[in-house]
Amino acid sequence: MRLLITILAVLAAIIGLILSILPFGAIALIPIILAFILAFIAFKMAQKEQANTKFVKVVFLVTIIAFVLSLYRIVFDENIVENDIETIEKEKQSKEDAIEELEGLDIEN
Amino acid sequence: MRSLLITFLCLISLILQGQNSAIGSNEKLVFTASYNMSGLLTDLAQVTMETSEVKTSTSTLLHLKCKARTYTKWNNFFKINDLYESYVHPNSLKPYLYKRDINEGGYYKFMQYNYNYKTSSVKSLKRKRRKDGTYWDENKDLSISANTKDLVATLYHIRNLDIHKAAIGSKDTFTVLMDNEEFKISINLLAKETISTSIGRKECYKLAIAINNKSILEGSNDNLLWLTADANKIPVYAKFKVPVGNGELRIQSATGLKN
Repeated sequence: MRLLITILAVLAAIIGLILSILPFGAIALIPIILAFILAFIAFKMAQKEQANTKFVKVVFLVTIIAFVLSLYRIVFDENIVENDIETIEKEKQSKEDAIEELEGLDIEN
Repeated sequence: MRSLLITFLCLISLILQGQNSAIGSNEKLVFTASYNMSGLLTDLAQVTMETSEVKTSTSTLLHLKCKARTYTKWNNFFKINDLYESYVHPNSLKPYLYKRDINEGGYYKFMQYNYNYKTSSVKSLKRKRRKDGTYWDENKDLSISANTKDLVATLYHIRNLDIHKAAIGSKDTFTVLMDNEEFKISINLLAKETISTSIGRKECYKLAIAINNKSILEGSNDNLLWLTADANKIPVYAKFKVPVGNGELRIQSATGLKN
């Protein structure tokens, strides 16, 4: 049972870490919180059975790193859209082409 | 004399019915598109809807431009840069030219429709990119029904409807041309609601949108649109279903409104 909970905690921590690296914002907190709860249960069970707690402590560390990274992204990642020259030129060209096309169409006044 | 006056008034009202009363020629609406999972929102892209006047040698048209672009933070993982344009008559909002240029994570597609109302047809051009970077074109002549519009023109046409005259529960159907196929889109007026938005608390018309009656028949109303219950009928909020979770579109700013 302890092994299963530890594996689930590792999986949740890895997913949390991946989502916190990607700009998923608050969604990353779901696996992070889950990893924290599972790691805590695994830690308590290991203590009770007087087993080695080193691995669970590593899972805790990964979870904390993911949590900090995720919080940083939530607070500092701004919603900005790049106004690159390529897109501006593309839109301008599209409009010029459209005017040319419209000249050849039969438009009611 | 009296009957002549009545006939004249009837004619005037008929003409006015087909007039654009909601869409200004310098309007700009900015939205945030988000992915919602278990109530947690992740902002993915910015969607803008802009209008401007375009002059040709013989006429003036309204240029309806819709853009969807992922926020910069997403660009290294998945970049979306879509441009949808429709050139419509400024009063009747009848489309004459439609362009769709989509660029989604390396996938490219371009569509263009040239409307010909005399022959009830559309000259369609589809352009795609091959894996080696070269392009291939497909030209087609499509027959369309009298009221068929593209997606952008339909959206603006819905805004121009006299929704205030419609009763709750009433439905309307529109024919939309998408990917060289005609689709029926049903709009169902569900209720009048007041919702909080970035541009203030707004009384809105809550509409359910279904393609070929799919979601309305299921009773699920997965795709919902809130239009302000004023003369501008701005889309302020939309909810749509995606395979995992659901998406949302929230207004951020609205400028250059007609009323």
